[in-house]
Amino acid sequence: MDHRPQAWGRPRDDVYGAYDHSYLQNSGPKQATQAPIVTGTSVIAMKYKDGVVMAADNLASYGSLARFPDVKRLRVFLDSSVVGFSGDVSDMQFLDRHLTDLSIDEAYEDPSCTAAPNGKGHLNAANLHKYLQKLLYKRRNDFDPLWNQLLIAGFDGHSKPYLASVDLRGTSFTSPSLATGFGSALAQPIMRRYAETEEDAAKLTREQAVEVIKECMKVLYYRDARSLDRYSIAVVTKDGVELKEDEQLEKQSWAFAERIKGYGTQTV
Amino acid sequence: MAAMFSQNPLMNGPNYSFNDAPRTAAPEGARQHRFDPYTDNGGSTLAIAGADFTIMAGDTRLTSGYSINSRYHPKLFKIGGTTADQKDATIVLSVVGFAADGEALKERLDAICKMYRYRHGKPMSVKACAQRLSTILYQKRFFPYYVYAILGGLDEEGKGAVYSYDPVGSYEREQCRAGGAAASLIMPFLDNQVNFKNQYEPGSGVGHALQERERKPLTRSEGEVLVKDAFDGAVERHIEVGDGLQMMVITKDGIEEVLLPLKKD
Amino acid sequence: MFMARSEYDRGINTFSPEGRLFQVEYSLEAIKLGSTAIGVATSEGVILGVEKRVTSTLLETSSVEKIVEIDRHIGTAMSGLQADARSMIEHARVECQSHAFNYNEKLRVESCTQAICDLALRFGESADGEESIMSRPFGVALLIAGYDEDGPSLYHAEPSGTFYRYDAKAIGSGSEGAQAELQNEYHKSLTLEDAETLVLKTLKQVMEEKLDAKNVQLASVTKDKGFRIYTDEEMAAVVARLPAN
Repeated sequence: MDHRPQAWGRPRDDVYGAYDHSYLQNSGPKQATQAPIVTGTSVIAMKYKDGVVMAADNLASYGSLARFPDVKRLRVFLDSSVVGFSGDVSDMQFLDRHLTDLSIDEAYEDPSCTAAPNGKGHLNAANLHKYLQKLLYKRRNDFDPLWNQLLIAGFDGHSKPYLASVDLRGTSFTSPSLATGFGSALAQPIMRRYAETEEDAAKLTREQAVEVIKECMKVLYYRDARSLDRYSIAVVTKDGVELKEDEQLEKQSWAFAERIKGYGTQTV
Repeated sequence: MAAMFSQNPLMNGPNYSFNDAPRTAAPEGARQHRFDPYTDNGGSTLAIAGADFTIMAGDTRLTSGYSINSRYHPKLFKIGGTTADQKDATIVLSVVGFAADGEALKERLDAICKMYRYRHGKPMSVKACAQRLSTILYQKRFFPYYVYAILGGLDEEGKGAVYSYDPVGSYEREQCRAGGAAASLIMPFLDNQVNFKNQYEPGSGVGHALQERERKPLTRSEGEVLVKDAFDGAVERHIEVGDGLQMMVITKDGIEEVLLPLKKD
Repeated sequence: MFMARSEYDRGINTFSPEGRLFQVEYSLEAIKLGSTAIGVATSEGVILGVEKRVTSTLLETSSVEKIVEIDRHIGTAMSGLQADARSMIEHARVECQSHAFNYNEKLRVESCTQAICDLALRFGESADGEESIMSRPFGVALLIAGYDEDGPSLYHAEPSGTFYRYDAKAIGSGSEGAQAELQNEYHKSLTLEDAETLVLKTLKQVMEEKLDAKNVQLASVTKDKGFRIYTDEEMAAVVARLPAN
């Protein structure tokens, strides 16, 4: 037996040859996320009269492999806002932990904030969006980006429904309806039919908004090859967040698929 | 990045600001995905200085590739006011290019203006603000704010003042300037309509005898019409411009803001 | 009394039970040992005047520099430990240049004075994050004269970091007598020429040596010419104007 504790648990040099310690060195260039690895696809959201509806499917893909089919990508913040994550899942988990720390700090500062979701003086969705924008912009400036596009839903300082986006470069914007990834091409046109302007969105009922979002999730499942038919949907209202994390796409009809022609080797 | 300053008409001309041209073939084998910290969010801005006013304008579309991210994303910001709503501000900054850098630049300049007021007990003049903006941009010479900024206000004599910038801080005071995606469409129109370039007195003769049309200062309403026409033209020919026209008019009485509709297609 | 005082002399940033910072107060004493400097502000500009103590006939009087330029529109006269003034003036000059670089305009006289006073309390142990640069307070006071968009102005900056604006101010060993004289003689309608005479006349009264064109120095700050130190000929002309007694 080797009596030096530093040798314990290591492959024996006499059997396996000397260990190449260069693998353990962390000198050299700093490693940052160079590309997303495990990814989540679109997040979609739209405002309505009394709040915001957001949805994202429960899939985390590894390239074209549907690797983790039960990953929740909507996250509630302080019972009053929802953050939806698309893009790299490990960066999402980092942000998730960071937001947990932040909400704990907030709860210490003002214990009433967990009890009263829209009480004055706690971070609302607009505050949270600004915070995340600064965070993501800082990381892009450091060339160590968090490879995500986020949607943030909730209420602003005037208790009006709030919906905004921020991406890995810190670019942020708001709109009555928003979608990331494939959703911006497939879901956004559908949502804009119902909520082209803020005024249009302010006329929608909750039922209508949820209906539109579900329709969009279905279209996305039909056309986005990195999507799943199990999804999460969140409705943010003044009373808090209602989050359902294990929904199943209903009333699918693949009849349209028969009529699709012209791809690849298919000629008739 | 290189495309940012290149005079390649494909990139700087009336074209899509994102790279849709085929990339030059990468060397065989090795292919590394690198993070590009910049994008172009499209849109256009415009400023005209008058005798006792300045008009600043910008469309409100925010794009990314062929997608419209937002139909209302302002490019004009009041700078250096004492309140959150900037109602006593006298300077307007317009930014176009990479939206995140634009936002960061605006917040920095505004914070500097506020500090200046505390330190020196007076609001910043446009001249001072213009010089400061140049140094801010140049300080990031090797990781620039990818923004074409225009600063507008009234000078010490009450005349309209427009200062325009490149992303690394070169600047110049001008009578008018267009910036952003449709700058190359709008600027010639402005040259012709504001500075009467290529306009001559009819029948004044030929060759050296030809007299240029006499320049006279624009009235405010003429300026506003010009801005609307310029943007209607740009919307028609450039896919990244549209949705809304945000216009701010700076006079000795303060800043008036108007929002006009543009085509959404 | 002496015992109590000595206990609180040591800690440079320690308040005495009466709420005093002895080291700062002592630094004010250092100025009272210095040569007299006088500033007078008029509507046309500001005049600064200092006495040069010519301690030896072998001393080259032009090497005694007690009035210096900070920027084209700001100048300063000092009294006390001149070496200490170097770093303050250096700081003020940098501040002026940096302001002109960043804002394409002249730094205001008040802002310049404030910038100098920001240095004054950076002695003793360094606070968190901020670098302390001195082991003791400055032993010098400055009269800062300048001309900006609000017209001419004169400021007095002390080692304690406080500053005030004055119409006329005297510092240094003869300051008490000189200030009393200025109090009597100053009025708002003084011309620049009157101010030159007033400064020299006042200096003459408080100086131990007999005043001549070599042992005093004048400078002015005006709108047109900015800061200027008087040439030997100009000095001689002003001295000649003084009433003989």
